[in-house]
Amino acid sequence: MRNFLAFIRRFRVLLLFALLQGIALSLYFTFLSFPRSQYMTTTSTLSGSFFEWKHGVTQFFALEENNNSLQKENALLKTQTIESLFRLDNGLVKVNDTLHKVQYEFIPAKVINSTHTKRNNFFTLNIGSEQGIKRNMGVYSSNGVVGVIHFSGPKYSIVKSCLTEKVNIAVMIESTGEHGFLEWDGKDSRRGTLTGISNDSKVVKWSKVVTRGAAGFFPAGIAVGKVEKATVVEGMPLWNVTILFSENYRTVQRVYVIKNLLKDEQDDAESHIPADVVQ
Amino acid sequence: MSQIAKHILRFFLFFLVQVLVLNQIELGMGIQIMIYPLFILLLPVDMNVFSLMLVSFALGLCIDALSNTFGLHASSLLAVAYFRPIIFKLFAPRDGYDILFEPNIFTLGTVWFLKTFGLLIVIHHFWFFMLEMFKLNEIIFVLQKTGLSLVVSILICILLQYLFLRKRNSNEV
Repeated sequence: MRNFLAFIRRFRVLLLFALLQGIALSLYFTFLSFPRSQYMTTTSTLSGSFFEWKHGVTQFFALEENNNSLQKENALLKTQTIESLFRLDNGLVKVNDTLHKVQYEFIPAKVINSTHTKRNNFFTLNIGSEQGIKRNMGVYSSNGVVGVIHFSGPKYSIVKSCLTEKVNIAVMIESTGEHGFLEWDGKDSRRGTLTGISNDSKVVKWSKVVTRGAAGFFPAGIAVGKVEKATVVEGMPLWNVTILFSENYRTVQRVYVIKNLLKDEQDDAESHIPADVVQ
Repeated sequence: MSQIAKHILRFFLFFLVQVLVLNQIELGMGIQIMIYPLFILLLPVDMNVFSLMLVSFALGLCIDALSNTFGLHASSLLAVAYFRPIIFKLFAPRDGYDILFEPNIFTLGTVWFLKTFGLLIVIHHFWFFMLEMFKLNEIIFVLQKTGLSLVVSILICILLQYLFLRKRNSNEV
């Protein structure tokens, strides 16, 4: 016992260092893979309202750009409303549409805090689980994909943005339908990479890259970016495709969170895939 | 008393500047400016290592809570606090430290500051970026980030001291 106490006295500095270091590192690694509580993230009410206040000041910096993209989207939507269409029938025929069912709902939100220089960048949204936000919902803006909800507190939530190492959004090249996963190398916030494109297909420069809608986080066809260049991965029959993002992650403010009403049904169906077939 | 108030005020200033200003700045090439190790350096020389570590852990966690890094800043600042007494002993002046003076660029000289703070910030930045990437095959990028960021961080720290500390009389902010 005395030896033990002597040991603790001798190494007390190192022991405290190891203890605190252990707390910090375990916090870091558990939160990175699966966050359990809202404390220590920007979703807690205290830091959330802090950033709400900060956003009140800094939202004007990128106002012009944000308004322009919203106006562009509005113009596009206006052309699709009933008022801008020419009526061919005389109002006697009424079609009760049973062929289409609403699959996606869009919840508007604001980005109140964001980073773009770290290896893994998370954005804070001003809505949370009280507004129906859950983990793994897709987030996009009028310019393109932003990310996936990583954790939602009661009033705020954080988004794992496209500027993280493995955001795992299934994307495809629109013209050919070749699909792969979106990744980010941590260097340039304007460019990402697309992995898993087989090199027996041709990749055309500046062809559009859109979401594939495979996992049910996003509907198919939301813009991600454009192909900038494709290089060969050494030793593998794959292209390493560099994409220029269509969204500027440094100024994004207004986003939509995607709620997929049929997600449970898809998950339920996919859970019936026999285990020995999956890889 | 005023000494303690001064350090508490500095704690909040470093915290706010880091979260509200420096976290939002992007210089490209992976540069990320972090100046809060300066707070640990400027704490009194005779402060013991336990309180040093607890203070740095608290500051690190505060910064983590507002930048979604979940403990990275705390971990790397803790390393700074742990190594500070060792490095201070290593670069001690011939007749020891005068505990009446706060250890900064004016009281102990530019060369001493560059050696001590340079080493501390190398530890801090390398620790931070290494944990952030957590991949040995990206070591070149980690070193690039560390090297470039620490140059900018040290320059800003020197500038801050010239702007906000009085020469020779360092008893006041």
